[in-house]
Amino acid sequence: MEKADFTQFCQANALAGNYRLSAKLLPAARQYLLDHSKAKLPVIWLETSDSGDNNIAFMNTTYPYLNQVLTDMIDLLYSNTFMAAQGEDAFNLLTDSANKYRGKFTLVVEGAVPINDNGIYNVIARTRTRRITALEAVTWLGSLAENVVAIGTCASFGGASSAAPNITGSVGVGSVLSREVINVSGCPVNPDWFVGTLAHLIMYGRPDLDELNRPKLFYGNTVHKHCQRRSYFDKKDFAKKLGDTECMFSQGCAGPKTSSDCPYRQWINHVSWPVKVNTPCIGCTNKDFPDGSSPFFTPLPQKSPEKQPSSGPKGAEKKGVGHESAKSPI
Amino acid sequence: MSLQKVLFSPVTRLSGLLSVELSLDDNTIVEAAVSSTMFRGYEYIMRNRHVTDAVYLTQRICGICSTAHGAVASYLLDMLYDNDINENAQYLRNIMLGADFLQNHIRHFYFFGLPDFVIMPKRPPFTDQNCYDCRLNAADNARLAGHYIEAVTAAEKSHQLLALFGGKTPHQHSFIHGGVAAAPTADKINQALYLTRDIIKFIERYLLPDTELIAECYDDYFHIGQTQGRLLSFGLFRFGNKNQQLLWKDGISENNNVSKPRLELIQEDISRAWYKRASYEKPSDIYPAPYKPEAYTWTKAVLYNGVHFEGGPLARMIINGFYNGGTSAMDRIVARSLETRLIAELVEKWLNLLTPGEPPINQKTEIAQNRAISVIDAMRGPLLHAALIKDTQVERYDIITPTAWNFSPKDKLGKRGPAETALVGTYIPSPELKYVIPGRIIRSFDPCIQCATH
Repeated sequence: MEKADFTQFCQANALAGNYRLSAKLLPAARQYLLDHSKAKLPVIWLETSDSGDNNIAFMNTTYPYLNQVLTDMIDLLYSNTFMAAQGEDAFNLLTDSANKYRGKFTLVVEGAVPINDNGIYNVIARTRTRRITALEAVTWLGSLAENVVAIGTCASFGGASSAAPNITGSVGVGSVLSREVINVSGCPVNPDWFVGTLAHLIMYGRPDLDELNRPKLFYGNTVHKHCQRRSYFDKKDFAKKLGDTECMFSQGCAGPKTSSDCPYRQWINHVSWPVKVNTPCIGCTNKDFPDGSSPFFTPLPQKSPEKQPSSGPKGAEKKGVGHESAKSPI
Repeated sequence: MSLQKVLFSPVTRLSGLLSVELSLDDNTIVEAAVSSTMFRGYEYIMRNRHVTDAVYLTQRICGICSTAHGAVASYLLDMLYDNDINENAQYLRNIMLGADFLQNHIRHFYFFGLPDFVIMPKRPPFTDQNCYDCRLNAADNARLAGHYIEAVTAAEKSHQLLALFGGKTPHQHSFIHGGVAAAPTADKINQALYLTRDIIKFIERYLLPDTELIAECYDDYFHIGQTQGRLLSFGLFRFGNKNQQLLWKDGISENNNVSKPRLELIQEDISRAWYKRASYEKPSDIYPAPYKPEAYTWTKAVLYNGVHFEGGPLARMIINGFYNGGTSAMDRIVARSLETRLIAELVEKWLNLLTPGEPPINQKTEIAQNRAISVIDAMRGPLLHAALIKDTQVERYDIITPTAWNFSPKDKLGKRGPAETALVGTYIPSPELKYVIPGRIIRSFDPCIQCATH
């Protein structure tokens, strides 16, 4: 029911009197709820190359809490972390869900995708005959999903898993898929950014995205712009050491180049964030994290990307993605 | 009867990606191969960086135990810079590390372990649970399944307590070298106390009775999943201005004889892992070799004095005389729950011992030595970081994690690590239990594959 219809409906029934309003309204409301419970988002969650910090961050969501998200908002069809099924039963759920909800499910990828040596550095499951690499699984499921959400900086841009020398050739999910990926970066993600993105998909569809495909709702401003210590920066009143209460720019703060709402939103039921405990923001939502933020305690202008580690045992060569078409692993 | 193969892949409800191959003869597991199937390369990532990046960067190895990596890297830097840690910082550091243990143990028991023993509601993410051996009566089962929700808030409160002082978590910010950058103020101490009391209530009301009930209904698991009885702990909760005192002692326990661990006896063995040595000239330089035919995992074997050792809450509790039992799957589960209460009570005690004041941090700026090894027990067992630096740049950074001990592949002599040992010899009475029983044994170690392979 549209808002205008609803108003008209209320007015019409109010004039009619005799409690007809609630008698008419309650079935409509029930139908609304029924319709909306159908909109519970089917989710397939793949864990690839990261630390698992994003599923822990997701467990820290408050209002809604984890159990509420799992009960009311999403159907978590596959998740290495949460699912009760194990072994072949789990893997079958992955393939069955992907087929059953083809074109309707949201693929959440937690972690970077290694592409060197055909992706052998991350195998999400094995069958009797072969190994299913993260590269293959992301390519295959990415072609079937309605939405693809990259949770955390590794999945969004490669992140710490792709830090120099990047032996495994790890890249963000967007680099191996020829479709739009919604990047919800952060190391880890703030649960509000992730659950908020899911809520947006459920209630209003695709959120507006910035130039790095991140929801503007959460990444629209820099940390620096909204930092509680901005007045110290403007007065050039800089901390002399970690633990001081002045501006952390002198201690390596990446706030000026980092888009996120940490100063407002804060972390873990909104109790704190890095600058509040007298340490710098290290720019964990950024495309170039961590190499672009390293050394973490060196002021921004003196962070020297050219001094970053470059030559590892095998170098950081990024090979082309050697797979053409999405295919089911079975 | 001919040998029967079971491929257990993926092993779900743990941190990271694990596959296990089992060989059965006459319904008994006669061989097991635990295979970690992910590799990132943190020891290479750490090279050529400023050594003070270690705390924040190595925390990114693991999401569920990040504070343990932050702690051991902080102790390492304290040695390299010869920092003095004041008393408030010592309490605050242990409060934060303790809070992460609480989070880990609660989440492991309810999110990872519970579906091994309790029938969960038949909806995602619990579809196709196939627990053919769930033994609780209907009322108890419904009650314990409902405690999943209680665990959601108790674990979140544990992380809230950590974030009050740490700024955020996973990957907290204030526990760094030289002390703690956050100020222990009266309001924060008070908030933390109330959170801790809620967590203690949860442990007493839910975690301990639930553990007791599961231990009672599944008491055969006190004889299933036993290891060699060789236990190792690096100790837990460092105090002293040089981090030199351990509240819970370290130890090597063999046949109930406890001695002090000697770090120089620890060796990594890559015979069955996907790595190769760079050259005979530099045998310590190891590179990935994903196609090495005789290898089956990204986890290197780690040996103490040439043999495998088990770490974790059970090892800590036995070495410290807090637990008297065997080395079975259920002993590991019970020891973890009992440890949770001990740690929660310590956190409450330490909060009461804090003196409100300025951030307790004093970082020295001159390097005092160019190499250091630091150790502490993480949630799942012994954790070691070692660094060799030139000026302030890392030349070499070595990481040996708890799950590398517990999920070691076979060594060059073909000897099995703790998890493989625990699996071998297990009787699988019927085919539908081929994942149920091994799953319970594997999860009793609380494996973290992100750590194991790093």
